[in-house]
Amino acid sequence: MKKVININFQGRVVPIEETSYDLLKQYTDSLRIYFANEEGKEEIINDIESRIGELFQARIKNGAICITDDDINSIINNIGRPQDLADADSASDNKTYTSHSGNAFQQTAFTGKKLYRDANNKILGGVCSGIAAYFNIEPIIVRLVFIFSGIGFLAYILLWAFVPSSDSVQNGVRKRMYRNPDNKIIAGVCSGIASYFNINVWIPRILFLIPFISIFFRWGHFGPLSFPHFINFSFSPGTLLIYVILWLVIPEASSTSEKLEMKGERVDLNSIKNSVKEEMKGVKERVSVVGKESAEFGKRMGSEMAYAAKRTRTSLGDIIVVLLKIFLYFLLTIFAFSSFGFAIAATGIFPFKDYLLKDGLQNALAWGSLIFLIYVPVIGIITWIIRRLAKIRSNSRMMRWGFFILWVVGIICFISLVVSVGRDFRSSNTVNEEKITLSNPAVNMLEVSTSGMGRYSRFRMEPFGSILEDTAYVDNVSIRIIKSPNDSFQVTLTKFCNGRTRHYADTLAALMNYNIVQKDSTLILDKGLPITEQDKFRNQHIVINIAVPVGKRIKINNKIGWGNWENFQFPWSENGDYDWDNESFSWYDHKGEELIMKEDGLYTLDGRPSNESGHSRIFYKKSGHGKTVIIEDDNGDNNPGYRYDQTQQTFDSVKKALDVQKQNRLDSLNKEEERIKLQKQKLEKAAEGTTPKQEAYLPANGYGYDFVLSI
Amino acid sequence: MNIENTASQMRKGVLEFCILSVIKLGEAYPSDIIDNMKSANLNILEGTLYPLLTRLKNAELLTYRWVESNSGPPRKYFMLTEKGAAFYKELEATWEELANAVKKITEEKNQ
Repeated sequence: MKKVININFQGRVVPIEETSYDLLKQYTDSLRIYFANEEGKEEIINDIESRIGELFQARIKNGAICITDDDINSIINNIGRPQDLADADSASDNKTYTSHSGNAFQQTAFTGKKLYRDANNKILGGVCSGIAAYFNIEPIIVRLVFIFSGIGFLAYILLWAFVPSSDSVQNGVRKRMYRNPDNKIIAGVCSGIASYFNINVWIPRILFLIPFISIFFRWGHFGPLSFPHFINFSFSPGTLLIYVILWLVIPEASSTSEKLEMKGERVDLNSIKNSVKEEMKGVKERVSVVGKESAEFGKRMGSEMAYAAKRTRTSLGDIIVVLLKIFLYFLLTIFAFSSFGFAIAATGIFPFKDYLLKDGLQNALAWGSLIFLIYVPVIGIITWIIRRLAKIRSNSRMMRWGFFILWVVGIICFISLVVSVGRDFRSSNTVNEEKITLSNPAVNMLEVSTSGMGRYSRFRMEPFGSILEDTAYVDNVSIRIIKSPNDSFQVTLTKFCNGRTRHYADTLAALMNYNIVQKDSTLILDKGLPITEQDKFRNQHIVINIAVPVGKRIKINNKIGWGNWENFQFPWSENGDYDWDNESFSWYDHKGEELIMKEDGLYTLDGRPSNESGHSRIFYKKSGHGKTVIIEDDNGDNNPGYRYDQTQQTFDSVKKALDVQKQNRLDSLNKEEERIKLQKQKLEKAAEGTTPKQEAYLPANGYGYDFVLSI
Repeated sequence: MNIENTASQMRKGVLEFCILSVIKLGEAYPSDIIDNMKSANLNILEGTLYPLLTRLKNAELLTYRWVESNSGPPRKYFMLTEKGAAFYKELEATWEELANAVKKITEEKNQ
């Protein structure tokens, strides 16, 4: 029992069995593909179809009730399948060489506008010979270009993947990827993939499910980007995402012919394997043949030079176009990979947004930026690649515009977000130096230590640790050592922060909770500046001034960080810099060492000035008019260096200053050399005694969800 | 070298010549051309014929007109143009030369 349908074929109504109709459609489609590069293909197809229509008419006139599979098959045999035509036509592939009589005959698969990989004249994938045939130049030239250009390898692989083989033109019907509506759990994506690759339907299903299953296993403590967590955090939404994309991109096989195409016999794992084998077979022989050919080519080259040059020149424009295309593919690949990485990184730091952004609009804008600005292009590129690979032919214009518009929305979100957040950083607070009362300011040696923060982790967050620990700590704490005017230690604390208005910044500064406690001779600092989700991060920063009396010692513990100023700078935001009117002494190179304050500056116990180091630092100093820049010199005697007031400086003074500076630098380099020697000796001594202590980070809780981010 | 390929290339070479000579006899419908060639034991597929006719037509060697048929829609009947006739003459000369040469060579060999 078969279903008969009526079709309108070439202006005639023809009753035809449904299966026969599918056969017929497949056949005409295959002809369309076969004649795709032929000039006047529409006419040819039309002629053939009208001939088929005539034959149908004849059949029906002879008393047939409808057109059957047998009818179709005999008609196809009469007219010829693309393969038969290709056999009969094989001579025409060489037409470029044989026919000179009329350019109407110069119509081959390769002289058409399309670029194919040349299956008949290949070494590896036929990319080079395809390009050569396209431009009508010798393949050896293209091969040499590929071998000797840096990105040739990648470009070759890309072209191999994206340029169709000339075989595919002759094969006619191709297998396509469809979603299978007959065997589906969600949308039939997996069973469609399974029938495309001719594998069991459970293989893709399990591949999609594995990352979800893996959530139940923990592989111990790793950073957020290390492999197991990477799977847990990113891959399960990742596979979900891929599934949804495939769902959107792959059409459903709704008609019988589409189902036939879906199950088509031409592509399965075996045939891929075979064709790969086939492609690789005889690569060696072909290489040696080409070796011979190129020797011949060298000989011919001389005589053909002029001719070849002429031919090449005519297609120079085309060469540029194809090179540009290759370059674009290359860029696109890089862009795809980097945006992939960027997307993962952005997702990783996304939980931090609560410490920066206000609820409501800013939050929405952040989501908008993440989804539209970062994920949309990633999805777009994946979609494009899948469509290319699965050879989906439906019109993608709508989709392209859709992606583009969403991306523009993302850009708008991001810009508004930056502007909105930037407004929250517009003003800075009123700077006040608060005195910290010390319980014992008269100690001989003050050690500065901290209650947390490893030496190298400047920025640490534990957003998932526990509800109590929803506080981020920022190590925006700088320590300045200055000379005390009297004989006791003095400590002051200065808070900086930004805010929408000065008033708000002041409120926020008042809320900044930072404790400095003296215990015996140790000054204990908090582990960092706490940032809560309520107060938000607004460039909070603290400067601690420690005034050391002359003749007394100070030791900065190794745990103290560098005093990094993690901040957001917007062009319009008020600068939080503060000009100190007293001079500070460097201690950065002497952490863990005792330093002694002398009349003219800070010294190590063995008498070297603390500032002595290979690089100069620039400090700002407050002065009455304009900004006075002090370049802290490196000769270590701690005199204020070379001031040049910007309003007064003359050419001579600058020159003199530079000369002196040069001399000083030379001196300091010599000193540095000695110092390194000394240090080395010291280290060698130390190494004999103790083994160096390794600092390691262990997560505070039992879960692996700590974010340890060193920026 | 395989025999089929060589043979089909030989046939291929004379195909255009044969088609033109059939059309030269008078206006021809593609299936007439096929039948004509079949009766001379030269089998070609319609799928090969149509593109060839289109190419020849695009090269202005052929032209066609629509003829009403009593069974169904009008059919395309092909005929030679002046250019086509000249082209045919040239081909004919070439063919005779070639046929004679081949005959001579093969007969010499056979003796």
